[in-house]
This record gives sequence, C-alpha cells and structure tokens, in this order.
Amino acid sequence: MTDYRYIGKPIDRVDALEKVRGTARFVGDYHLPGMLYARCLRSELPHARIVKLDVTPALQVPGVVAVITSDDFIDHGRFGFPISDLFMLAYEKVRYVGEGIACVAAETPEAALAGTKAILCELEELPAIFDMEHALDPNAPQIGPAREDGKHPNFLGHFPVYDGDPEAVLVDCDAVIDQNYETVMQEHAYIETEGSLAIPTVEGGVLAYVSCQSPFIARGHIMRTLGLGETAARVINPPVGGSFGGKDDLNYMTAGQVACLALKTKRPVRMTFSREESMIASYKRGAMRMRVRVGADKAGKLRACHFKATYDSGAYSSQSPFTSWRASIHAMGPYRYDACTVDLTTVYTNNGFAGAFRGFGNPEVYAGIEQAIDELAEKLGIDPLDFRLQNCLRLGDTTPHGQTLTESVGLSDCLLAVRKASDWERKRAAYAHQSDPDRRRGIGVTALFHGTSLGAEGTDEATGTIEIHQDNRVTLTSGLTDYGPGSRTVYCMIAAEMLGVDIQRINIHLPDTNLAKDSGPTVASRSTMLGGNATRIAALNLRQNLDYAAADLLGCEVFQLQRAGESYLGPSEEPVPWEVVVEHARRMGLVLSTFGRWSAPKIHWDEEAGRGVPYFAYHFGAQIAEVEVDLRTGLTDVLNYYAAHDAGKVIFPQGAYGQIYGGVAQGLGYALYEDVDYMDGYLQSINFDTYLIPTSVDVPEINGSFVETHYSQGPFGAKNIAEPAMVPVAPTILNAIAQATGRRVRKLPANLERVLLGETLHKKGSPVSCKVALKSV
Amino acid sequence: MPKYSFATAATVDEAVRLLNEPEVRSIPLGGGTDIFVALRVNPLWFDRLVDITHVPELHHIGVADGVVSIGAAVTFTQALESELLQGVAPFLACACENVGGPAIRNSGTLGGNVANAAACADSLPALVCLDAVVHLLSPAGERALPISEFVSGPHQTNIQPGELITHFSFAQPPAGARSAFIKIGRRRAQSISRLSIAAIGTTNAGGAIDYIRITPGAATPKTIRFTPVEDMLKGQPPTRELFVRAGEAMSAEMISVTGRRWSTPYKEIALKAITERVLAAIFLQEAQPC
Amino acid sequence: MLIQFTLNNQPVAVEAPSDITLLALLRDHLRLTGSKEACEVGECGACSVILDGELVNSCLVAAPQVSGRSVITIEGVRAPDGGPNDMQQNFISYGAVQCGFCIPGMIMAGEALLLKNPQPTRQQIRVALAGNLCRCTGYQQIVDAIEATAKSRARQRA
Repeated sequence: MTDYRYIGKPIDRVDALEKVRGTARFVGDYHLPGMLYARCLRSELPHARIVKLDVTPALQVPGVVAVITSDDFIDHGRFGFPISDLFMLAYEKVRYVGEGIACVAAETPEAALAGTKAILCELEELPAIFDMEHALDPNAPQIGPAREDGKHPNFLGHFPVYDGDPEAVLVDCDAVIDQNYETVMQEHAYIETEGSLAIPTVEGGVLAYVSCQSPFIARGHIMRTLGLGETAARVINPPVGGSFGGKDDLNYMTAGQVACLALKTKRPVRMTFSREESMIASYKRGAMRMRVRVGADKAGKLRACHFKATYDSGAYSSQSPFTSWRASIHAMGPYRYDACTVDLTTVYTNNGFAGAFRGFGNPEVYAGIEQAIDELAEKLGIDPLDFRLQNCLRLGDTTPHGQTLTESVGLSDCLLAVRKASDWERKRAAYAHQSDPDRRRGIGVTALFHGTSLGAEGTDEATGTIEIHQDNRVTLTSGLTDYGPGSRTVYCMIAAEMLGVDIQRINIHLPDTNLAKDSGPTVASRSTMLGGNATRIAALNLRQNLDYAAADLLGCEVFQLQRAGESYLGPSEEPVPWEVVVEHARRMGLVLSTFGRWSAPKIHWDEEAGRGVPYFAYHFGAQIAEVEVDLRTGLTDVLNYYAAHDAGKVIFPQGAYGQIYGGVAQGLGYALYEDVDYMDGYLQSINFDTYLIPTSVDVPEINGSFVETHYSQGPFGAKNIAEPAMVPVAPTILNAIAQATGRRVRKLPANLERVLLGETLHKKGSPVSCKVALKSV
Repeated sequence: MPKYSFATAATVDEAVRLLNEPEVRSIPLGGGTDIFVALRVNPLWFDRLVDITHVPELHHIGVADGVVSIGAAVTFTQALESELLQGVAPFLACACENVGGPAIRNSGTLGGNVANAAACADSLPALVCLDAVVHLLSPAGERALPISEFVSGPHQTNIQPGELITHFSFAQPPAGARSAFIKIGRRRAQSISRLSIAAIGTTNAGGAIDYIRITPGAATPKTIRFTPVEDMLKGQPPTRELFVRAGEAMSAEMISVTGRRWSTPYKEIALKAITERVLAAIFLQEAQPC
Repeated sequence: MLIQFTLNNQPVAVEAPSDITLLALLRDHLRLTGSKEACEVGECGACSVILDGELVNSCLVAAPQVSGRSVITIEGVRAPDGGPNDMQQNFISYGAVQCGFCIPGMIMAGEALLLKNPQPTRQQIRVALAGNLCRCTGYQQIVDAIEATAKSRARQRA
C-alpha cells in the first residue's frame, strides 16, 4: 500500500472556516448599492394558454423598474438538454402551477411583488393530466412538445435493457414474484433556496453569481438566450447551499431572468426565492410506478427479471431522459440473471416537473427491485442476505447489459461487512420470533450497484488548472461546482499529494467561467473521478516542469530525484527547498501554470438494442436497517443503520463518511414521510412545516464503512460516493419494516397510515395555500 | 411606511390599555411563533403588536390555596422546566416538551398556544383535562371562562376584542393523581400532532378508579374531555381489559363527534392504542416517553 | 423606530421599521448575513440566534422585541484572539460542514445547549438540534463536533 501524505487522511475542508464563522457569502447575502429585486409572476393554473400578457400596468407601480417576458429572449428563451422544451419564461402556454410567466425588477421586494400583481395576464385553462397512467391515452390533452415521428406528444422516451427472454425463463422458475411498487416525488429541500445575482458589466455584458450546478451551463444559456458573446457573460458559483441535483434547470432560468433584467436596467438585479416559491416552482424527483417480476430456482439462483415501469416527468423533460436511462440501466439490481428485460416509459403530465435528484432515477427503481428480491428470498425461505450474496455481481461477471466487470467489484465484501457490523444473523433470527403485540423490530438489507459518472449519457471529461504564483502560493481551478460534498477539498489534497507540497500552500478558486474551464456539470457523483483526475494530470504536468528544474539545479537526472518533505534531494547534494526549485524553474523559462484534461474511458450504449457498456465503472454497496415499528400507531423508528460502500480508494475521509450519513438521512425521509403531493397540479406542502425532512432525532447513529477496492482509472484508485449512499435506503428500511410487521408497504413513503393500515388514505387537497403563497410570500 | 407599529407593555394594565386604544387594532405579541407564520399568507389583521413578554406577572407560575396559576406569557420551556408543574401536572410539562424544537419552545407561550386554538395544539389536551380556567382582562374588568368554553372550534375562541389572556388557573389535582401525555407525530420532533392524548387519574383505597379525566388532541375539532369514557372508567378496577374497552369507547366517541373522515380509518385504531397506553401509564405505572 | 440592544456584547442603536423581524434587522439593516433565511416559519433553524441566553428563531422575533436585550449571532461566536472558537474548530475537524448553509444555526444551537447543559449526552445533543434542519450531513458529524466541544470544555474546567 502506498503511503500517502494527504490522500485518505483527515483534513480540514477548504471552505469550512468561512462557513462556521458565517462569513461565507451565499447569493442571498450579497448587497450592492442600487441593487434591484426581481420576482416572477407565476402560473396559478396547471395547464393554460397565455391569451393576453400586458406588462405595462406593472411599470406604473411605484418602484418597478423593468418587466420582462419570453419576448425579451432570443427564440423566447428556449433551452433544455437533451430536449429543448423549457423557456426562460413561459411562452404561449404554462404547463404547471408555479411556472414563471413574467419577471419584475423593482427597488424593493415589496414593489416587485406589487408589480407581478399588476401585470395583465389572461390564462385560458386547458385540460390537464395528473395521472401518469393516462398520459398516453389517445385523447389525452397534449402537454409535451409536438413530435414529428408520429409518437404521442406526451411520450418522452422509452428506455429498454434486453438480455434474452425473461418470459420464457420465468415460466420455468420455481418461485416468482410479480408485484407492483410505487414511489412518489421527492423535494430536494436544500436549505438555501434558489438565487441569482446579475451585474451589468462596463462593456455591456453581464457578471452573474448563480447558485447552481454548473456555471458553464448557466453561462451558455445566458449567452444563447440574450445574444451575448462568450466573453460578455461570466458566471461565478458562490458557495451553494445544497443542491442534490436541484439547482439545474430552474436556477438557469433564474440566472437568465436576472441577467436579462440587469442588461435592461443597467443595474444589479438579484432574485432569491422564499421557501414557498422554491417548493412550488422547483422540479422534484420523479414519481415511478413499477411492475417487477423476478424468478429463481429452488436452490436460490436468480434466473429472470422483467421490470416494467412508467416514470412521470411532469410538465417538462428537464433531465428525465437521463434519469430514466440511468434508472433503466440499474432497474434489475446488482445481480446475475439468465434473462432480463427492462422496459421503462417516461411521460409528460402537469404535476410540476421532475428533474435531477441525487441517485438520478435509481432510488426509484431500487424501491422496486430491492423489495422484489427480498420478497423472492422470503418465498424461497432463504435468508435475504445470503440470497444476495449468492446472486450478486462479482469480478469477471457479465451484467445483463453485456458488460464484463474486470476490476473494482467490492459488492460481496460490502455485504459481508454490513452482515458483521450489524450482527445480522442473530438479529434476523431473533426478530423472526417476537410476541410483543405493540412494538416489533425488523432488520432488512439491500445491495447496490451505481454507475459512476455520466455513463453513455454523454461526453464525459473535465479540465483542471494549476498555477504557482509569484509568492509561491498554488492556485487551482475546476469548472465543477462543490455544493457541499467537498470536491474542492479533494482537488487540493490531490494537488498537494502530486506536487509534494504542504496543503496550506494550495487554494482553489470558486468555479468561475473566466478562470476555469468547462468540465461539464456537477452531477452523477462524477467530481472526484473526473475533476480529481483532471487535477491530478494538471499537477503532474506542473510537477514535471519542477522536476526538470530540480534536476537541473541538483545536476542529476530526473529519475534520481528524491523528496524530503517539500524539499528536493539529488544523489549527493543538500536538500533544496521547493521555493528555490520554483524560482529556478522561472529562470529556466518553464511555465508554472498547467492544465490537465481527463476524458473518461470510451463506452457505448445502443438505445434500440438495449445493450452495451453503459458505465466505465460501478460503485457497489450494501446497507442494513434495523427498525422498531409501533404496530398500533404505524410509527417507525430507525434504530440502527449500517452502510458499507465500495467507493474505490477514499481520498477525503470526513467528506466520504459525510456522504454516507447525509445520504442515509435523505433516504430515511424518502422512506418514511417525504411526499410531494400534487392535488390536480397544486402542491400541498409548500414549506417545512408540512413537508417533513428528517431531524437530528429521526436519524440514528449510522455505522458507515468503506470497502476500498482500487479502480485503476480513478485518481489514486478512487471511484465515487455522493449519490450511491442515498440510493438503496428506502428499500432497506422497507425490508426491515416488512420483517417487523409481516406486511409489505409497496408504495412510498411508509408513513403512519400505510404502515398501520397497509393502505393509503387520501386527504382532500386544496389549491388555496399554493395560490395564496404565489401572491404573497 | 411600516405595515404595523409596535408597542411594549411593562405591566398588565399597560398591556390592556394599549390593546384598547381606539383606532388602532392591536393584538398581544407573545412568542410570535404563530403570528409571524400567519402574517406570511394572511392579510394584515392588526395595526399594532403589543409585546407582553416583558410583563413579569405574565411569566408567573405558582400555587395558592390549592389553585395553580400559569401566566399567559410562560413559554413552553419555562413550563416544562417548572418544578411546580412537573409535580402537580407532569402531563402538561410533558406536552410542552413535545412542542416544536428547542427554539420554538423558548419563544412560544401557553397563552399563545391556547389563543391560537389549533385542534392539534399540544398543550390543550392537558389543560382541558385540568378544566383550566382562562382569565381575561379588559377595561371592563376580569372575566374567567373554562377552557372548553373559551376554545370554540379550530382556530376559534371566545376572546373579545381588547381582551388579554392574563393567566390560566386550575385546581390542584387530587393527591396521588398520576398523569400522562402521548403524542403521535409523523416524525420525532418539530412535528404537528397527528393525534395525542392526555389523561390524569387516581385510584381509591380499594384500588378502583375514583378520579379520571381523559382528553384526546387532534381528534375532534374542539379539544374536549371524553366524559362518557371517564364515566365508564370510574369506579372500575384498572385492568387491561378495561383499558381495551376504554380505547374502543374513545374511538367510538371520536367518530360520534366528527363522523367518518378521510383520516378516521387511521385515527380510530391509533386512538385505541394510545388510550390503552395512557391509562396503563397512569394506573399500571408503565413507562411512556416523558 | 429606534431599536437599542446589545448585539454580540456591543451596544447598538439602529433605526428600523417597526414591522420587520429580528432576522431582517440583522441581515438587511445591520448587514450581518451569517444568520440565514430559509423558511421564515420557524421550522429550519437556519436563522437561530441566542437571545438573553436562549436559542430562538430570529425569523419569529419582532425586531423591536429585542430592545434592551442581548443578542448573540454567529458573528459574535469566536475565540478571544478573533479566530474560530473550539466549537467552530471542531465543526471543521469533524467534517460537520458540507454546504454550510445550516451551520451558523447549528453552532448557535450547540452553544445554547452548552450554556444550559455543559455535559450533554449524544441524545441530548440530538434533541437540542431538533429544530435545526440539515439536508447534507445526516447530523452525525455535527453531533460529534458538539460532543467533542463539551468534553474539551469540561476538561478545561476541571
């Protein structure tokens, strides 16, 4: 094992000090003289044609300075990738409650609100769809964009995986599970709401501070929709107060709106959302309805999986083509089968809209497959952990996609680790025989694989730069955002390790389109691997120049160089301080700013054939939950939680453990109470008083651990962690509840009513709070 | 122009005077934990806030001549930490411990909780069990109303314009009385009560129940004692069988008040369970949270 | 109206409208933006400050209500030398910080707890944090940091 100075060792996060002192400036903390406040007029109808939109009355409102609509953008501000169905502000139609229609800039937030109320906006209500099962009915009202291929306009995409004929195998199986499972939408609930600030520049461009997942994407949309050249638009990521996938599309709209208003008014314009506006306007994790059929033989060999699902993208496509694809790739779970089909269809409805959210489709499909696997084990009378061990993917196996796993497959070790940590055998046996009529315990397990980075979804590369300044400080840039997980610290650790210098020398710029290079978005748990490799290569390039200088200085060959702390040693000389080497490199005319680009290994996916190599590597993991269920009130307490993850080599331990803990907490909420409930398109929970996320007393002490397989392509052998920690939590808890109660909850969340009654109780909803909030707070 | 003005009262009399100045719609401000939430979405319903939290008498918790008195501005934290209340009405202290999170408990007041009169207000079931009296002061003088008359429905009370709740009082429960409070929320803290129950009782020398008050929270639009169930329990030896029947009677009583609603299938089962548990906690000394 | 109070142990007098919250007074009028605005209904604790020794949500306190009282915000939490105090340093060392948006409120909740209960159990720490929502950390390293602070302060007192 290589002995590293920084990699895998405890370190202080690079941005922690300003955060613990309260001096970190989030977007909402910026105040500029003359700054205007922006606010959107938002749709109060789930689906309507914009019949009339006259903003002139708003301009008469005292304090209002400017108002914009989609007409103020090129091509009405159309954007979106891969499907361009979004607009910077609604054009011709609104498709969900909360969609921005016009945007007002005013001297005060109150005047901006008054301005939105003065706008003459006439909406003609259109029939809407709220049930994904009916989105593709022949007579269903059109929500999605018109299609030229003859397909239903509400059809967003079909995402298959084909490996043999599971139907033929299922009839042959000794035991088959055929069940329906359902997940509901989930709110990201980042504690910082959306916000952007745009400042007009002297040369007629715009500088924007945007709380988002990629400053480059934000800049791209601003450039295209406002007709600005690359140098005229600059976007900086201030500290981002949580995102989890949630600060993509909507905040690009916010950025575009304030940029447009800043250009129009020639004044700084800031927009920050209230919690209510955030919840109503923002996209969510999509809802999924699944039918899962899995079969095995008597000996416990898994033989076939047929997974069929419908996914609700709501009013816009956003990231759903990608989330759906990732979901389809993982829908069969981390197992070997003789035959497997995944058949996932994504549709448009008027239920808000769905986009990226930690796990990116996988928490949804795992809620299905990992319960079905448990049910199958139970039917066979096999311990669910043994059943998973028997069938899980191992080194050398070929996945149902046709990909052979050639390295870094730590799944069985993860299962063994949680089995041991949790005292699984004893507890599982003890909880099978309980007599307390009021409270019973259960323990449940899941196994996980999760493709690293974007996969065959798109071009996958990142670039980092590194520079030694005159005062010998070392500065890094990365185009990747760190909205919490700690990637900026990871890059500093990698650079210090590669250069062999004290980490105190290293600092890293905030992501800034004028300083850094585009590295794609911070999504798909790709920062450590992609950005880490880019930093590693940039540092290697710089190190090479310094090595030349050191060898020149010491009169030796590069291969003869040794290091003592920061200093360089030659075969016979005294140590030469690093600064002296740097100065010598300058004299030699060697460049002391370098960059590194890393492109992910080539992979491919055939969308029609449903086969290929979807990801270049996989994260593996196993989790165990131990619960106590109050059988008479339906209240579930998660008593203990165990999570073992194969993230490759762990670079930043506090950060990696933090991802496990935070992921488990977020999954716990998804499992037990989080429910984005739309009543005819109107969101029912619009603040944290009714949309409940776990508090400190709801989350148990979590036993996290890592199985550090080495991944040859990762920086120092690292893979990824952020998303996977959250992915299997809900089915882990549901499997534990099933043991405790003897009854399955197949629809998330496992709230009081579902656990107690085994059924869903429907409260009659109301559009009132949504409508009032859009006009007040 | 500010939307409303602000005044601070140093004494009860000053508070009442400020609340009754003509032309200025004034309301008392305690912890603000309901007012500032409502202000976000409701049209303004006052012209002035009168801060009553600096009035010393309104923070008083005491007992005299067998009557316990709690000032309206007593916070949940003050109530739950009060040794007096922990002694005479532990279920009230427990209910206060179940409110919100620490910061909400440090600000929110019992007066505000009762004046806001939410069906799910955590302090109400215990106060109703205690037959607490609400003491009101206005320029016309003092007025006292039983809490069950004061609260007339969800978010509805019989407070008159210009009246200030000064304190609550209740007769000290019989010696040896035991009480308990159980709350079901969707999560473990900062949770609106899905259902709750408060009860207090004693047994006589012969072991039979001779004093019992039982009140569910978030079960009926107006928080009330379920006296038919109390009558059923009185004079009986406390047994599990009795508690099971009491639980069934509680659910039946709830449904007779509310009819069957969307939540009834859940609440009728859960209310039985917490009824049995609250009675077991009192009479069989079974442990319950706080 | 003129609001006079003690802010981070310094007397302040600020002219502000009567209809704003303490949070708005701090952020918009005094430009102390360490206290965060995130729900404004007292559910998330991002705006937590210590008022006369007790933790409160500054979004639910009327600004004039603090007249004559003492308010400590995150800007007032520091070591005597001006650097981070032990609690803040432990938040850093234990990896308790991710996005950081809830962290000022968490530190105020931790300090408020230790004022009342200098040697809390982990469960008591969790109860004390129950009004402060964090979506990143799962709370565990925050509990670690506060527990470590309590222990080291106890050692110093001994």
